[in-house]
Amino acid sequence: MRIFNRLLMALVFAALTVIGAFAAIYAFNLFGYRLSELPLSGRVGNTPFYSGLKNFVGAVTSGALSSLEIAILVVVAVVGLILLLAELKPPRPRHVRLGKRGTAATRRAVRGEAIAAARQTPNVLWSSARVKARRRPGAKVRLKAGVRSGEDLSAARSELRDRVSGHLERKGIPLRKLKVKVVEAEGRQAGRRVR
Amino acid sequence: MRLAATIAVAALATEGVSRLGSGIYAEAATYGAGEKVEGVVVKPGEVEVHVVLSYPLLAPVPELAEEVKQNVNPLAKGREVMVVVEDIEVGRG
Repeated sequence: MRIFNRLLMALVFAALTVIGAFAAIYAFNLFGYRLSELPLSGRVGNTPFYSGLKNFVGAVTSGALSSLEIAILVVVAVVGLILLLAELKPPRPRHVRLGKRGTAATRRAVRGEAIAAARQTPNVLWSSARVKARRRPGAKVRLKAGVRSGEDLSAARSELRDRVSGHLERKGIPLRKLKVKVVEAEGRQAGRRVR
Repeated sequence: MRLAATIAVAALATEGVSRLGSGIYAEAATYGAGEKVEGVVVKPGEVEVHVVLSYPLLAPVPELAEEVKQNVNPLAKGREVMVVVEDIEVGRG
């Protein structure tokens, strides 16, 4: 279904590009083509849709669009672009690949290990982690931890980084990227007893 | 269904495996008439085995997953085997 959607989107995008190019050529009187000479006549030319379209195109070329119409056109264009990019972007795998083909770990398992390592670090009162799987083996881990106020934050960050990466390495969980954020926390925020 | 049950037994027999996982967002199971095998999803060309490992780990996680895969592979009847480590837990196995 995804492949079908992509092909469909590619065709729609190609059609819109061609139509857009023609519209620009006719609207700005390029290469001798004029809007008034559009090859539409007879039954098509007499329909309300055509006359409405002609009025609209006339308003576009003369710059007489209302602010509401401009806003609607911008929203439609932005939504279309977002949908197109979202569809073209390949999906991220659900699980973290462990290196060898056919083996993976859930993000929850990796998160649990990262948090366990962070909680063994001195002065860390609480920690949380977000794990993203990558197409290649390895996980991207974002760790956030709270340390006692007054602690050296950069030293704590460095120690946390070493502990978490070392712990995951010992467990054999490949780490692609580790981001550590350390903030000062109050004692009552602790996830464990503060001595 | 029998294939899923056989694979489940083989996966559970691997040292270091505490139990079979049941999936996180959707249930990982193979369904039959009035019964199901949790932790094994048999698809036309693939078998997905969800395992929970037990602490202390006998080997690094990828090695244990590979061991499960080696145990399951001969039973999968040509299907590709995917081993998913769902969690690592203490106190069981």
